[in-house]
Amino acid sequence: MRSSVFLSAEGEGFVPPSSNDFELPPIFGDNPFTTKPIFLVFLSVILVSVFFILSSRKAAIVPSKFQFAGESIYAFVRNDLARDVIGHEFMRFVPYLFTLFTFILTNNIFGIVPFLQFPTMSRVSFPYVLAITVYLVFHYVGIRKQGAWKYFKEIMFMPGVPKAAYILITPLELLTFLLVRPLTLSLRLFANMFAGHLLLLVFILGGEHLLQGVIGLKLISPFAFFIGIVLTFFEFMVQCLQAYIFTLLAALYIAGALADEH
Amino acid sequence: MEGTLNLVGFGLAAIGPGIATGLIFAAYINGVARQPEARSVLQPIAFLGFALAEALALFGLVLAFVL
Amino acid sequence: MATRDDNAAWSIIGYLLSGLLFWGGVGWGLDKWLGTTFLLLTGLILGAGSGIYLVWLRFGRE
Repeated sequence: MRSSVFLSAEGEGFVPPSSNDFELPPIFGDNPFTTKPIFLVFLSVILVSVFFILSSRKAAIVPSKFQFAGESIYAFVRNDLARDVIGHEFMRFVPYLFTLFTFILTNNIFGIVPFLQFPTMSRVSFPYVLAITVYLVFHYVGIRKQGAWKYFKEIMFMPGVPKAAYILITPLELLTFLLVRPLTLSLRLFANMFAGHLLLLVFILGGEHLLQGVIGLKLISPFAFFIGIVLTFFEFMVQCLQAYIFTLLAALYIAGALADEH
Repeated sequence: MEGTLNLVGFGLAAIGPGIATGLIFAAYINGVARQPEARSVLQPIAFLGFALAEALALFGLVLAFVL
Repeated sequence: MATRDDNAAWSIIGYLLSGLLFWGGVGWGLDKWLGTTFLLLTGLILGAGSGIYLVWLRFGRE
């Protein structure tokens, strides 16, 4: 799988990176539960917990730099995401949104951390699970708040529409609400991480391959590496942005389920 | 290299809606910047134009898979 | 308010996509069942039309 890329440097012609590069072999024997993404998920859980436990344990009025870093991330999620979007009931959802944001952010940034260098969310099952949790949370909240019948009636039957148009529209509302929303939520995160990692692979491995070539190609390869480095910074921006967008949309869905009229 | 011509066709078909979306939001931002109180008037128009342009892109996407 | 606008753009894409998928899917299924070929295109156009109509209802009315 990965070997195809490394073999290419030995004069077989360049094999461009493909989706096969994302299917990493198990680390211990044949156990499919010990692949790199799984270790990265556990690592991210440990990192996030240790960071926030340490930064909040010795909380002082005059914060240390460490405490300040932890608190500013928390304040960002609480004020800019939860409070501005959800409104007066926001405090209930802050723990969930905060977990979501830090977890996705850490896992995304693994994509450009040396030696880890694999964004966990580029395996599609992880975003799926996250989107399923969002899905369960916002439907549960909406049904608890408004009652099942009223909740679905407001989705399905919009006021002020001719009766005949409901035949056209109601299936679309239901499909959007029940299927397309969580699907686009997870696929957006997945596609961004997948494409970003592939882009970096193309430039870094392509530059490496050019370095093995004749002298003319050797001269070009620094440009490939340079673009690879620039794109790494670009990737960092995309990774932060995607974590933010995922959390923002989760908050917006919760806010929509809580709102009386939608 | 593998793939189908459908995907090339979709890539070409996505150029138009891409430019259109850019133009629509450029005009919207321009309008709101010049006259902030016109925002509520411009916003539905901008989103409708966006929807019309985006429908063409999604048409291309669906047809690329179907045909 | 900027966040609401972001959500509007995404949900517009969602509505249009589900319109095309649902009514295109209905047309495709009817094509398979009846052995015709024109219903898929009809369904796609109907889906795009109703998707745009729904976007107009949600975002264009006020």
